[in-house]
Amino acid sequence: MIGVLVIVVYVATGLLALYGLVRTAQGRHPGRDIRIGVGIVEVLLVVQAAIAAYRVLGGGVTLPEQGTFLIYLVVSICVLPIGMQFAVTEPTTRWGGAVVTVAAIGTGVAVWRLAELWAAANV
Amino acid sequence: MSERAATPTSSGPGRVLIAVYAIFALSATARAGVQIATKFSEAPAAYLLSAFAGVVYILATIGLAGSGPGRRRLAWIAVGIELVGVLAVGTLTALDTADFPSDTVWSLYGRGYGFVPLVLPLIGLWWLRHTRGR
Repeated sequence: MIGVLVIVVYVATGLLALYGLVRTAQGRHPGRDIRIGVGIVEVLLVVQAAIAAYRVLGGGVTLPEQGTFLIYLVVSICVLPIGMQFAVTEPTTRWGGAVVTVAAIGTGVAVWRLAELWAAANV
Repeated sequence: MSERAATPTSSGPGRVLIAVYAIFALSATARAGVQIATKFSEAPAAYLLSAFAGVVYILATIGLAGSGPGRRRLAWIAVGIELVGVLAVGTLTALDTADFPSDTVWSLYGRGYGFVPLVLPLIGLWWLRHTRGR
């Protein structure tokens, strides 16, 4: 994995989680702003996943738990779009923001586990 | 005393709860799937328990996200099993025990997952009670 990118992803998911909470506290339904936020974080996640997958599958990096790593990689990019969809399908509620918060935290934890598994390989 | 119809478990803050359940369903099942596929013989009991927990989370998610008495009953049962499971497995692992491998969602009351597995069924049961009709 790329150290700097992992940190950027942590910060981005953290900010998104906070913003979702703010939205819920304000009693406002998530709108375009949250879609843009999720989109930006998602681009970072896809770039990270592509680089990591390339280095594991094609670049000769061997991980002790490769299957687990690849599954977490898929989870890390899937959770936010699904959470986002779930957050906006009920238009009258203030809780959509908190749903995005949960998805952002879940994504952050998945990335943290990815970084741990990567570090275990000492690369 | 006025009658009050049950409100859907999937609206309002319930959606946040379902999101947490869905993430646990996904991660517990995926993790158990990999463990069973790659190293089942190392700790079969723990990995089967992880898979069982994953299925319970999936059923709870389906029950909470749905509507109607059938789905509500499913949610009650799944969240109830979840609470019993985390308490039983948590206690067994806390009392030590050499023969109980420690890496499942419910081990040590879910300490490896920030105790969320312990708190989640309590919130789930409260939410089911809160939204039921009377």
